[in-house]
Amino acid sequence: MSSRQTLPSGQTVFDPRGAVTAARIRLAPRPATLRGARLGVLDNSKWNASRLLRRTVAALAGDGGPAAVNRYVKDSFSREATDALLDRIAAENDVVLTAIGD
Amino acid sequence: MSTETAPPTAREPVDLVEWYFEQGWTDGLPVVPPTPESVGAMVTALGGEPERVEARVPPRWGALTREVLAVNLVLAGCRPAYAPLVRATMRALCTPHFNLHGVQATTHMAAPLLVVNGPVRNEIGMNAGANVFGSGHRANATIGRAVRLVLLNVGGARPGDLDKSTLGHPGKYTFCIAENEEASPWAPYHVEQGYGPDDSTVFCIAAEGPHSVTNHVARDPEGVLDSIASAMSTIAHNNAVSSGSCAVVVGPEHAATIAAKGWTRSDVRRYLWSQAANSWDDVSFGERYGRIYNRNLPKWYPRRPGARIPVVPDPDDIHLFVAGGDAGRFSAFLPGWGHMTSPVLRAVDGRPPAGRAPCVDGTCEL
Repeated sequence: MSSRQTLPSGQTVFDPRGAVTAARIRLAPRPATLRGARLGVLDNSKWNASRLLRRTVAALAGDGGPAAVNRYVKDSFSREATDALLDRIAAENDVVLTAIGD
Repeated sequence: MSTETAPPTAREPVDLVEWYFEQGWTDGLPVVPPTPESVGAMVTALGGEPERVEARVPPRWGALTREVLAVNLVLAGCRPAYAPLVRATMRALCTPHFNLHGVQATTHMAAPLLVVNGPVRNEIGMNAGANVFGSGHRANATIGRAVRLVLLNVGGARPGDLDKSTLGHPGKYTFCIAENEEASPWAPYHVEQGYGPDDSTVFCIAAEGPHSVTNHVARDPEGVLDSIASAMSTIAHNNAVSSGSCAVVVGPEHAATIAAKGWTRSDVRRYLWSQAANSWDDVSFGERYGRIYNRNLPKWYPRRPGARIPVVPDPDDIHLFVAGGDAGRFSAFLPGWGHMTSPVLRAVDGRPPAGRAPCVDGTCEL
C-alpha cells in the first residue's frame, strides 16, 4: 500500500505513519458475578500496583466473592507476560484482575 | 497591472511545510517535504522493494515499510547515505529485548541513545568530537531525528497519547553520537563486543540525558573515575531503583589520563562498578515510608542497614565509550531506564559479530 496521495493542487504528499494491519481483538464477555469464580490476580511487580491489588482482593472477599484466588507475578512490570504465564492464567481462572501503579 | 492577489482556489499550491504540521506528522520542527524523487532515492539506498516491511514499531505497531522509512528519512533531512544506518537502528530497537513498547510508553524520561562505531562514521560525516551531544552536524542531527520521527509517526508515541513521559528530555528530538575511535586509547566499543574494526555498528540504550562529570585536577585513573562514580552514586536516577544498564562517555583528555597508567576498558568498567554504589539506607528511604524490599533490584543485593549496593548489577552493564573534543577535562554519565530494557547492538549490514573478542586491550575474558 503506497503512502503517497495527491492534493487538489496536484502536489504529491506522503503519509509517514505506516499501516496497522493487526486484527482487533474483542474483549471477553463480562461475568455477571464473581460468586464461586476462580479469580486470578496478576501482580505486575510494581509496589503500588501490589498494594492496590491486595486491597481490591480484600474488598472482593466474603459472600458473593470468588471461590479461589490464584496469584501470579510478572517478571518485569514493563515487559509482556510470557505466553506460558498467560496460558496458565487462562487455564486456571474464570476472571483475572490486574493493576498498574507507580 | 493590479496589485491585488487572487483569491485562493483548490488548485493553488499549498505550503507543504505547513501541511505536514497540520497533519500532526512532525516532531514540532519544520520537515523537508518529500517528493517522489527524494523518496525514490531513499528506497533505492535501502535496496528497493518499497513495500518490504523492515519492522513493526510499537506501541502503535505501524508497519515500517521501506517506503515509509524513506518518507521519514526525507522528512528528517537525511541524505540517502544515512538510510542503512537508520534501518539498522530501527531493526535493533524493534527486537523484543529492547522492549521499545515500554521505552515509548513509560512515564520515565528515557529516550533511545544511538552510538555509532566503525567506518560508517567517517563515510557519512558523523561528529564524534567537540560538542558531540550538541548541535551542528547534519548526520548526527538528522539520523537521530529520523529515528524519532519513526517512533512518533509509525510507533505512535505522541506526547500525552501513547508517550506518557512526565518530562521527556531534549534527546527526544535527536540523540545520536559516534564514538571518537581516533582519539580513544582503547579498542572501539564494537570491537570489545566481538565485531571487527572494519564493521560498522549502532548501539542503542534507553537513556536519561547526559550528566556532566567535571574533573580538572586528577592525574591518575582513580581520580577521574571517582568523579564519574560520584555522578553514578545517587538515588535519583532510574538505575538506583530499577537496576539495568547505563552508559559512560569518557572525554578524550580523561581517557588519556586513565590510559597513561595502563588501564584498559575492562579496568575502567570494573573500577566504576566497584566504586559506584548507593547505601541501602538511602535507596530504602531509611524506611520512612515503611519497610521496602524493591523487587526491581536484583535478589542478591544486600538489603540491610548500612549495606552498599551497586548502581548496576555487573561491570558489563556499564557501556563505555570515548567521545568528545580534544580539549577539556570532562566526561558524562547517562543513566539507563532500568531492567525493563536491554541495550542492543547491531551491524549496519545486519551481520552478526564473529564472536566476543577473547582479548581486548590486553584483558582476556574467560
